[in-house]
Amino acid sequence: MDPREIVGKALEEGRRKLLEHEALEIVKAYGAPIAEAKLAKDPEEAVKIADEIGYPVVLKIVSPDISHKSDVGGVIVGLKNHSQVLEAAKKIFENVRRNAPKARITGLLVQKMAPPGLEVIVGGLRDNVFGPVVMFGLGGIFVEVLKDVSFRIAPITEEDAYEMMKEIKSAKLLEGYRGQPPVDKKSLAKIIIAVAKLLEENEEVESIDLNPIIAYPDSAVVVDARVILRLK
Amino acid sequence: MVVDEGVRALFNPRSIAVIGASRHPGKIGYMILKNILDYGYKGRVYPVNPKADEILGLKAYKRVSEIPDEVDMAVIVVPEKYVLEVAEDAGRKGVKVLVVITSGFAEVGNVEAEEKLVEIARKYGMRVLGPNIFGIAYTPINLNATFGPRDLLKGPIAFISQSGALGIALMGWTIMEEIGVSAIVSMGNMSDIDVVDAAEYLADDPNTKVITIYLEGLKPGTGRRFVEKMRSITRRKPVIVIKAGRSRRGAMAAASHTGSLAGSDQLYSAAFKQSGVLRAYTTDDMFDWARVFATQPLPGGEETIIITNGGGVGVLATDTAEEHSVKLLDPSPGLKEKFRETMPWFGSPKNPVDLTGQAVEENYAKALEVAFESDEIHNIVILYCRTAILDPRSLADTIVEVVKKYGNSKPVVVGMVGGIDTYEAMRKLNQNGIPAYFGAERAVAALAALIKYYRYISKKHG
Repeated sequence: MDPREIVGKALEEGRRKLLEHEALEIVKAYGAPIAEAKLAKDPEEAVKIADEIGYPVVLKIVSPDISHKSDVGGVIVGLKNHSQVLEAAKKIFENVRRNAPKARITGLLVQKMAPPGLEVIVGGLRDNVFGPVVMFGLGGIFVEVLKDVSFRIAPITEEDAYEMMKEIKSAKLLEGYRGQPPVDKKSLAKIIIAVAKLLEENEEVESIDLNPIIAYPDSAVVVDARVILRLK
Repeated sequence: MVVDEGVRALFNPRSIAVIGASRHPGKIGYMILKNILDYGYKGRVYPVNPKADEILGLKAYKRVSEIPDEVDMAVIVVPEKYVLEVAEDAGRKGVKVLVVITSGFAEVGNVEAEEKLVEIARKYGMRVLGPNIFGIAYTPINLNATFGPRDLLKGPIAFISQSGALGIALMGWTIMEEIGVSAIVSMGNMSDIDVVDAAEYLADDPNTKVITIYLEGLKPGTGRRFVEKMRSITRRKPVIVIKAGRSRRGAMAAASHTGSLAGSDQLYSAAFKQSGVLRAYTTDDMFDWARVFATQPLPGGEETIIITNGGGVGVLATDTAEEHSVKLLDPSPGLKEKFRETMPWFGSPKNPVDLTGQAVEENYAKALEVAFESDEIHNIVILYCRTAILDPRSLADTIVEVVKKYGNSKPVVVGMVGGIDTYEAMRKLNQNGIPAYFGAERAVAALAALIKYYRYISKKHG
């Protein structure tokens, strides 16, 4: 689906937050590489999709009424074959029925598990004074505790994106440590630029969190995306 | 670029009406008129006051529209409840710019009156500075339409202030510190003319070499314009901003993770970086840097030499240089040989070049000449600690002489440590266009700002 359609549909349905598969799709449309994901209606379809995209996979409940998926038992990770997927899918539906009986269920997101790498965060928001701005930082304690992030006002150039990565205090981790090779900054720059552009071109989008993005020596993938809209 | 007529009239009015001019010393309407007259403004000045026939020897008019002459600028000092009325009258008269000193508008929640004021101005094609300001000064034409100190020193530093009290206080301070200014603009509520408009005019002003700004905050929705315009202004002239209010933004956008991390100060920092604006964190820094930009040429490169008579200040300077990414030259053997000839046998020709505590005027003069002559050196830091054998005032004369001989061809900054006579020496240096500071650190930090700007200007922009 086209980004405009995704946003339009959500607003039409009175949703302020895009569903996870919509959020991933919209950032993908702007050129950010994502961990492949598809929406399944039922456990059988989940298995079919998992076979298609390859193992291991993670299953996540998709519902406009559930924002903390793990709290209701709506996420199961590390599924290595189709019988595990089938069983997990059934379990998730059961958990959600029990823990959030009134929640509307859109489906089950089947997503390829990204192998471990360096976790980074890219975000964006619409500021009152500056308009669209983008943020970059390393995941985990670097953002949560040290608040080690950098910002730029959109529109940004590729050079700006590289400077943002260089500017954080933990920048050395991007260069690799303890014999690790450096991560693929070109892919990360592409993601940062995608977020800036997405905000620029979609006035209805209020904020974006891509958290985490997993960075590797030769690529980077967005694993989780959160897109908040402004209701008019 | 097309310069707005109203903004031009703000800096170069041919005639000024002071609406609310007063006969009573101590009143703002008196002080402003007196400053305009006493500082030597050459254009025509018209006091406007319905109750007076004459103020400070000038015929007073009941209203602006009665003035039998064109009026470029109207300074408004009347109480808030009369402002709209006199603005309307000024509009009919064809005034180009209103300088609204009066307070009591958006800053106290009276947004409606401020909006009406701007509406009236738009209707008649006038621009508005203020309201809630202390005025404007532009020294090249002897204009001091403020209620601050009168005798501003002329020079190439423009100062734009969003704070009234601080702006006035700094006016006095610049006089004491012998900092010459081209313009002082009080921004107040920025109902119309804002920081960017003022900076844009000054960017093409031949009397201004560096623009300093005290900024509290930009108005909603104007951030991007600030970045875009400043990017172009900083290509023409260095801009130094001190931004107040480093506290974090409230819960406005806390719905997202990014929102919880986006303190407004970080966004301002980003905006300054993206637009090439130099950010100072203290008023001292701002004017320390401004002094260098006002007097020194842009360097031809980054290699810096430190010449000192004391090891301690040399090390402090070295530390500061490293902190601020100032590149200290590793002199070639040939250059070391030349420096060796300028000092006693126990001196050091490495960088810092240590002339030792035995150094007198001649040692400094020779070392400085070597530094000017050498192609290896682009920037020169001179340090001095008070010694019994070298009077700092005499050293100041020597430095002025050598720098003059080489025609200001390389940036020079001076850092001195000592008592009252050292301050006299620094004063002498500053009066002669050589930036001098107390201590090695401030001198090096000021030079660092110049080098940072040089780096920015040298970078290719696509």
